[in-house]
Amino acid sequence: MTAVTVEHHEMTPRTGGHWSLLYRAGLIRGALGFCLLGAFGFGLVVVFRWWGGWQPLLDMQIITLVSLLVTGPIGFLAGIGAFDYWVYYALGSPTRPEDHSGHGARTWRDYFRVNTDHKVIGIQYLATTLVFFVIGGFLAMLVRTELARPGMQFVDTQTYNGLFSVHASLMIFLFVIPAFAGLANFVVPLMLGAPDMAFPRLNALSFWLLPIAGIMMLSSFVVPGGAFACGWTGYVPLCSTHQPLGAVFFNQGVQWAGASSIMTALNFLVTIITMRAPGMTFWRMPLLVWANFTTSLLVVIATPFIAGSQFFSMFDHVMHTAFFDPQKGGYPLGYQHIFWFYSHPAVYIMMLPGFGIMSEVISVFSRKPIFGYRLMALSLMAIVVLGFSVWAHHMFVSGMAPWLRVPMMITTLLIAVPTGIKVFSWLATMWEGKLHLLTPMLFALGFLSMFVIGGLSGVMLGAVPIDIHVSDTQFIVAHIHYVLFGGSVFTIFAGIYYWFPKMTGRMYDERLGKLHFWLTFVGFNLTFFPMHILGTEGMPRRVADYAPKFADLNMFISLASFGLGASVMVFLYNIITSMRNGPIAPGNPWRGLTLEWQVTSPPPIFNFDQIPQVVGSPYEYGVPGAQHAVLAPSPAREVEEVGVP
Amino acid sequence: MRRGSIASLVGIGVVAGGIAAAVALVFPWLPKPASREAGRIDFEFWFVVTICIVIFAIVAAAILYSIWRFRAAPDDDSDGPPIHGHTKLEIVWTIIPTILVTSIGITSAIVLARDDKTGKNYMQVDVTAQQFEWSFSYPSAHGLTSATLMLPKGRSVLLVLHSRDVIHSFWVPEFGQKEDTVPGLRTTLHITPDRLGTFPVICTELCGLGHATMRTTAVVMTPAAFNKWLKGQSKAVASPNTATAGKAVFTNNGCGACHTFAPAGTTAKIGPDLDKLAAYAQQAHQPLDAFVRTSIVSPNAYIQPGYPKNVMPQTFGTSLSKQQLDALVTYLVGGKK
Repeated sequence: MTAVTVEHHEMTPRTGGHWSLLYRAGLIRGALGFCLLGAFGFGLVVVFRWWGGWQPLLDMQIITLVSLLVTGPIGFLAGIGAFDYWVYYALGSPTRPEDHSGHGARTWRDYFRVNTDHKVIGIQYLATTLVFFVIGGFLAMLVRTELARPGMQFVDTQTYNGLFSVHASLMIFLFVIPAFAGLANFVVPLMLGAPDMAFPRLNALSFWLLPIAGIMMLSSFVVPGGAFACGWTGYVPLCSTHQPLGAVFFNQGVQWAGASSIMTALNFLVTIITMRAPGMTFWRMPLLVWANFTTSLLVVIATPFIAGSQFFSMFDHVMHTAFFDPQKGGYPLGYQHIFWFYSHPAVYIMMLPGFGIMSEVISVFSRKPIFGYRLMALSLMAIVVLGFSVWAHHMFVSGMAPWLRVPMMITTLLIAVPTGIKVFSWLATMWEGKLHLLTPMLFALGFLSMFVIGGLSGVMLGAVPIDIHVSDTQFIVAHIHYVLFGGSVFTIFAGIYYWFPKMTGRMYDERLGKLHFWLTFVGFNLTFFPMHILGTEGMPRRVADYAPKFADLNMFISLASFGLGASVMVFLYNIITSMRNGPIAPGNPWRGLTLEWQVTSPPPIFNFDQIPQVVGSPYEYGVPGAQHAVLAPSPAREVEEVGVP
Repeated sequence: MRRGSIASLVGIGVVAGGIAAAVALVFPWLPKPASREAGRIDFEFWFVVTICIVIFAIVAAAILYSIWRFRAAPDDDSDGPPIHGHTKLEIVWTIIPTILVTSIGITSAIVLARDDKTGKNYMQVDVTAQQFEWSFSYPSAHGLTSATLMLPKGRSVLLVLHSRDVIHSFWVPEFGQKEDTVPGLRTTLHITPDRLGTFPVICTELCGLGHATMRTTAVVMTPAAFNKWLKGQSKAVASPNTATAGKAVFTNNGCGACHTFAPAGTTAKIGPDLDKLAAYAQQAHQPLDAFVRTSIVSPNAYIQPGYPKNVMPQTFGTSLSKQQLDALVTYLVGGKK
């Protein structure tokens, strides 16, 4: 981000001495807010306990929960200014609807503020999620180090269980889901021909909930008793009554991440429904927009269920309720039903946006229209509908009502049909095309082949008898990584490389990008494919110690996983150096037709000088003279280019 | 499409399918079945794998062929032909997968129904799981309990699963079948062992710190050997010699899964070393007998430094009879006074 354009707005004058830092919205006031409201939460607990005559007055468990995990973070949000505008409005103070001082980034500092520009928020999301991706990957390396030999060598069991639990939670809630939200945040308004999201201030708030969730989950390692160690699924009663305080950090971390997800999804829905440029009918929307539309539907309907499951589990833990405690009449399987009613659709929340990225990348780099556009969009909708009817396939061996298994198997197997339609349509899109095997396309092809393997092992798991044998084994670990790494992570990489020029105004290094792809592709397969064999042969998952006969294969997997971990370093080196020193990117390096490529790289602060007029499909490659949209010729640039130090 | 391109496409597909089939055949995927249910599961497994290999071969062939034939030169700025779709083709790749998954669904449902069918003459075994041990009791032998699962070959067995604390899961890879044990629920699992041998019993649902070590063995024996074992066990439990009875209680309740105890030949290290009980009692300033008894009945009363709280089951006070408890204490204290 070397040059940004500044137009019709004024920068807020920086006035006041050092003391102004304490009351001006920002990270310092955020820290202050955290302390103040944290202390308020502390006091609230003490006052209530004193009033009720409960002993001990200082119950650190409740105090930690209320003050560190609830009121403190609210104070932080207030401090950084996430609520300022709404508070002014509620108090009747004059609001400044045309004040864009919190919009767009002029210096790197603006990325550490509450910012209402969807492009800044998109990059905030991506940077934050990549940090958690690296941390989560590091935890996985520790897990593999312990698993390299049978027996315990490296960490104790509590730490080991914490490592894989936090690894999964970070990768799911702080990487895959929000990384897609970040990419979509940057791209969707541009693709729609809109100046921003429908609710920019809500958008900013959604982002700032994320670091709270991530830090909460990570900090559970330093809580007395250790991190939550019951897996990311948090099954009760293990997680509600048999866990140290760290479990509450998971329960509550999920709430913050979930709230962020729901707000973002609402924002996308309203934006996509109401802010499409003139002429942009639903059947002219790029498939990435379709993908985020359907994903947002899933998020809005499903995410409240995981919020409910985590609240109930936490109440059982700290307030001795008995939602799931069988000794007091609770029902442990109730948790699993509520949990998977979210967490199965969550698999599609982590998949559909990637499908959208694939449709863009494959069409552009094959120089052909997407094959069967309407069926592609309709199969997304089919996945949304079917996705809500398959949750209990995670519970074939759980002891639930046996009759439920066959109907759930049928819906599970049927969902392979719309997914298959998408895969075959991408293949047909490439057929007779002009394939340019640049890094985004390589990751797209890697995705296609890996996701097919993950999808097919998913069909195997859908068949109840096979699932009964391999449930809770390393086969499951292999399957979810083929779907979420070979699937989602490959598409995230493809998306980051594809839009890198648009986001930064610079090109990434193509050779390093290809090197990154090959290291990832080979390392990924060597790491995760052998896990299928371990699982069918009899090695369960979530164990640090295992039978000696699995030792050699585990050593092999661990060595391969270190290679896979190292490949991420190539990626980070590439994006960090290219962001500063890469060649300047043209507005449309890939000759794409969708709207984001018709503006400068990076785009102007309000995206379009005039709202574009959409006149056709976004994928008319090979049709002479075809246009997706007509942009008003920008009036001779009166815009001032400002260099950023 | 020209005939030559179809031939090379098929050729790539055959090679890709061949490689996938080789991977499927070379590696030892499934353990050798030791139950009729595992045999049926194996059939379903290979049925689905065959379909998967064919689909994988088609996709791999299409990708590799496209890369080979449709790759553009870097300076080629032209576009491909504007093909927007092909209705017949789209119908084909909707219908064929639907037929395939339906066939998988039907065969699976049949396998499932047959695997769950116990028949009339089945033997019931009550399985109790608790952190981190298994115990098996035989209602037909007046509730005789054992820490290893002994089964006669060829007999239909209904395992009735219970849990005393959290969710566990019962799995013997060679039997194929698996089911969670859920506190407050009665779940069942059906197996018909059909091969003699000793197989691992594995807990597959994360159940706490000792999850990886929550293991025992299942032994499939001839019906004659099984009956002999039943009789021998019933005698040992009723033995007036408390040391013999104590050893039976120790073994049958799975104490050795977590504790080292030389007389029983166990070496696990999750809980305190029972060969050092005398020293522990001294540190706790309690008489040895009372210390051992309290530690079994209410384990959290005194926690030996270096070991976590709440790991040892708190249920032995109720699950063991007074006689069994006496015998166990005598056995543990034996010779150390």
